[in-house]
Amino acid sequence: MVPIARRMLFADRRRALLGVAGVAIALVMALTLDGIFAGTTRQVSRYIDTSPADVFISQEGVRTIHMAISILPMTAADEIRTLPGVDWAEPILFSNDALRAPGGRRPSYVIGYTPGGRGGPQTLVQGREPGPGEMVIDDSAATALNITLGDEVEVLGATWTVSGLTTGMTSIVNTSVYVTFDDLTTVLGSPGAASYILIGTDGDTEAVANSIEAAIPGVESQTRPRFSAEERSVVREMSTDLLYIMSLTALLVGLAVIGLVLYATVLSRLRDIGVMKALGLDGSGVTRLVLIQAMWTVMTAFVLAVGATFGIGAVVAAAAPDIDVVVEPASLLRAGAGAVLVAVIGVIIPIIKVWRVDPATVFRRPS
Amino acid sequence: MTNTALAAIQLDKTYGEGSTEVHAVRAVDLEVQPGEVVLIMGPSGSGKTTLLSMLGAMLRPSSGQIVVDGGDLTAISESRLPKLRATTFGFVFQDFNLLGPLTALENVEFALNLAGVTGHQARKRAEGLLTDLGLGERLSFRPDKLSGGEKQRVAIARALANQPPIILADEPTANLDSKIGHEIARLLRRIATEEKRAVVIVSHDNRLQDVADRILWLEDGAFRDLHTMSTDPICGMSVDPSNAPHLEIDGEVIYFCSTVCRDEYGTSGAPGRHGVRAERIEDEPDGR
Repeated sequence: MVPIARRMLFADRRRALLGVAGVAIALVMALTLDGIFAGTTRQVSRYIDTSPADVFISQEGVRTIHMAISILPMTAADEIRTLPGVDWAEPILFSNDALRAPGGRRPSYVIGYTPGGRGGPQTLVQGREPGPGEMVIDDSAATALNITLGDEVEVLGATWTVSGLTTGMTSIVNTSVYVTFDDLTTVLGSPGAASYILIGTDGDTEAVANSIEAAIPGVESQTRPRFSAEERSVVREMSTDLLYIMSLTALLVGLAVIGLVLYATVLSRLRDIGVMKALGLDGSGVTRLVLIQAMWTVMTAFVLAVGATFGIGAVVAAAAPDIDVVVEPASLLRAGAGAVLVAVIGVIIPIIKVWRVDPATVFRRPS
Repeated sequence: MTNTALAAIQLDKTYGEGSTEVHAVRAVDLEVQPGEVVLIMGPSGSGKTTLLSMLGAMLRPSSGQIVVDGGDLTAISESRLPKLRATTFGFVFQDFNLLGPLTALENVEFALNLAGVTGHQARKRAEGLLTDLGLGERLSFRPDKLSGGEKQRVAIARALANQPPIILADEPTANLDSKIGHEIARLLRRIATEEKRAVVIVSHDNRLQDVADRILWLEDGAFRDLHTMSTDPICGMSVDPSNAPHLEIDGEVIYFCSTVCRDEYGTSGAPGRHGVRAERIEDEPDGR
């Protein structure tokens, strides 16, 4: 078969490329926003994902760290240590506040842990673990706020001296800081309480998690993957409406572009379409013609957009390490489906136009 | 009627209603036999294009019948007409109407695709047709790289692609110079004679009279009964002396298509510059 649809579309290369570029930009917008969002949700659960704990214990009904307050009695940790399959149990305290420094401020998770234990930073790139009145902060936040070792910062109304730098714990949303369990207990005024208990197991993690929940009343016991998933989902739920609005905007931009491009292509080829109809192209033929042109436009745009998004991700990673652009397969599927939807909706008006072309126009002299 | 390729019976076409009503074609009867070339001439606005559109199944008549291969086109549903156009008619246009984004070969191949012929078979047939018409070296050329004569030959190859019994040509020589125009005229004649196709040509071009078996004069939507035609010495158009502007010079009456040509002739004052040709062209009451 003669590839008439593609030939007609690309006969005017400049217009075709503008159309492809327009749709591609809309798709890049959607994919990049999705990628930043996916990267952010991953970063939000970084503390959980990098923790050596197999199981996380929280107050009954509390399933996340983000947007939650969990209070557990310290005695719960002692009880848990006696249970079969439990290798170790370590309480941590958790709070939120802004990390303030002369260079600015940044929202922070404040984690109180026992130095030398497993609840603190997994990596130290500079300095040492916090002692009394000291704090470990993330190197990225330190750079952004112009903080170096030995500087003083403010968190939760107290002043702390920076003793060490960890890494990978800053996202576009916030950063994590680490202080001693005892200091945070004092600052929060919560003696005898913990926020979460980290558990190491030496058996079937799922079974241990279940047995803890059955044995200790008033606690929620979740394996690390489940706790991480809950953490990400609460962030997603908080941002879903915003994400929908942004994706819808990108989709509408793509729709407008493809509609205009196809309409302009059809308008510029009305005589050719009249000739084709005169020669015997039927209604389904002209519909197919416009649909194929739409599919060519969006599929070419989609391929370009995916490539461009990966490129943007690499550039962003180099320029702004706090922003992680993660292009997930589900995001590609959504963008692909959106592109097809845009193509199908975008062709409606051009198709109506070509249906109305009278084949007898071939006998009229071109103006 | 059994041998008739195309027949129009009491064909009528009216546009608009009431005070805006225009009667474009009035009670036209026409029969065209296989192998016959029929030339339809007439002034602008006489209904030639409307008639050709109806004969080519692109326009529904207000009344009357068009019979092709024993079937009445006017009774066929709209959805079946495109397939019928692809297989029954070959169209040749004044402006060639080749598809600009396609090569010469693809233009012909596309017509074959529309009739359901695809792939290697379509390509071979398109190549063969173009080569037969002397375009073997131009297969991969786009229309904008072809001369007028070459474009029209591609259009004729496209018209012949699906071996239709009927070729409908609208001013096929109008955009061509004299030599190429004669070539195209002879080609249409050869197609009718050798391939036994019915060829209906609508044209102002007197050169086509040489290849026509019959010449019909359409005026005000109807075939005229009797025509003793003259040729306008300024523009070369055939004119009906019964109602044409004229000049009498030295006892000789010269007829013009319009007062513009008459005035130009009078201003140039050049009797003898163009010979006056009065000839009997057609004498058939209903065009049969």
